[in-house]
Amino acid sequence: MECGKKTVPLREELWTASGDQAGLIGSGCTLCGEIFFPKKKSAFCPHCQHEGLQDATLGSRGRITTFTMVHQQPAGGFYKGPVPYAYGVVQLPDGVNVETLFTGCRPDEIRTGLEARLAIEKLYEEDDGTEVLTYKFVPTV
Amino acid sequence: MKPPGETREVVVAGIGATRWGYYPDRESYELAAEAIIDALKDAEMEWREVETAFCGSVYQGTGSGHQAVREVGLTGIPVVNVENACSSGSSAFRLAYQAVASGLHDVALAVGFEKMPKGPIPSTAFRPTELQMGFNVQPANYALETLLYMEKYGATEEDFSLITVKNRKNGALNPHARFQKPVTLEEVMNSRAVAGPLRLLHCCPLADGAAGFILCTRKKLRSKSRAVTVAASVLTSGVYGEAVYQCGMVDSVKFPPAEGMVEMSARKAYQFAGCGPEDMDVIQVYDSMAPGELWDIEKLGFCKEGEAPRLLREGVFDINGKIPANTDGGLISRGHPLGATGCGQIYEVVLQLRGEAGPRQAKEAKTGLCHTMGAGPNSSIIILKK
Ligand SMILES: [Zn+2]
Repeated sequence: MECGKKTVPLREELWTASGDQAGLIGSGCTLCGEIFFPKKKSAFCPHCQHEGLQDATLGSRGRITTFTMVHQQPAGGFYKGPVPYAYGVVQLPDGVNVETLFTGCRPDEIRTGLEARLAIEKLYEEDDGTEVLTYKFVPTV
Repeated sequence: MKPPGETREVVVAGIGATRWGYYPDRESYELAAEAIIDALKDAEMEWREVETAFCGSVYQGTGSGHQAVREVGLTGIPVVNVENACSSGSSAFRLAYQAVASGLHDVALAVGFEKMPKGPIPSTAFRPTELQMGFNVQPANYALETLLYMEKYGATEEDFSLITVKNRKNGALNPHARFQKPVTLEEVMNSRAVAGPLRLLHCCPLADGAAGFILCTRKKLRSKSRAVTVAASVLTSGVYGEAVYQCGMVDSVKFPPAEGMVEMSARKAYQFAGCGPEDMDVIQVYDSMAPGELWDIEKLGFCKEGEAPRLLREGVFDINGKIPANTDGGLISRGHPLGATGCGQIYEVVLQLRGEAGPRQAKEAKTGLCHTMGAGPNSSIIILKK
């Protein structure tokens, strides 16, 4: 992140803090223990139907369970990041899988089983120069 | 669901379909009307005998089925438009089946039709953040699952490339298919990378077109010799904890499901039909992406997990094999007219059971199965018996 650049999160309440303190915000069920990411606005747990979800900050390191490299622009015009790009799934020690973009390494270095750490980074830049930030994971290669 | 003994027998009396292709000069309701009129003629019935209509499509919008019916005749019957992603056609078929099985109607129409819209397609199958993060790439979502399958069972890129080769070979025998030219293994494996490890020729093409059916009681049949019985029509949706990357859903780490959605639909369909995978003489499985056909065959119980690649190489799923799969070329050759895809499968299995499949006829085909999936997620199984 360059100094002085205006930044906005892709969406509110996806993560808390920044830098090394950053953590994704999920919801945890006080009855069954299930964890959801992103957090749910309702307290209703769709696993056990108990009305007891509470915000939970998730661990910032996990393991890559699967990934792919996309070579084409996604349909619909919703995605404004770079192409090609890599995405996949990281399993966090809290016991939750997170679908995520990957960053910080060459695509051919990504492997299942690798450790990956959370990073808050630019997804794309608005026309006025504002950087739109999102969560990504950096594989430890 | 009530057991079969408590519902009426439902038969497919007539079938109709357009060729699958690209129709810049025809409207979706014209394609649908062509399939409906074909199905009526095939059933030797008059339009005024049809008591209700269920019209499946994904992108045709409000009242699109009514537009099709208007081209055939306005008789005041109930017309219901069905949108259920790639299972829309199968879902329309199921509703028509239910209308007759329940005793509410004696003759019902099911039609699936699609004309792919031009330009960006708004997606409601993903949450807004997932769309903005670029998680809505269909081949990429299959790639996530493909990698897991490859790691678990040692399957290779060549294994699922052979699915494309098989289906394109079958498609070459189908005058209705969008692609009627076979491809070699080299062509598949050298095609452009789309989302590692998937390449262009592992992906089905889109298509426009329509297929329709007249369903009725046995009593209403004109031609008893060509009728095919609907032995089961089952629809399931997502089960808790199972990943469906096609809808942005990941596996639950803490609460994995006891049974997946596809396995559940298959179990319920076999149970209702009173038969099992060993009784199927011809199958239409879901090959929107080539590797998907491998695990679909396994999840439907035709072999053990991880065995499909070996059996494919042995020719078990060829037209003259033990379990002919996607005899019409599947989505990979036929093309994928989203809301019509399920009806395209049913059309092929009815042809096969009637012995009217010409050069791609499977031998002694008495019982067949169709499986469609789709965003939602949905899993639809239809079992047909001669
Ligand atoms: Zn709960």
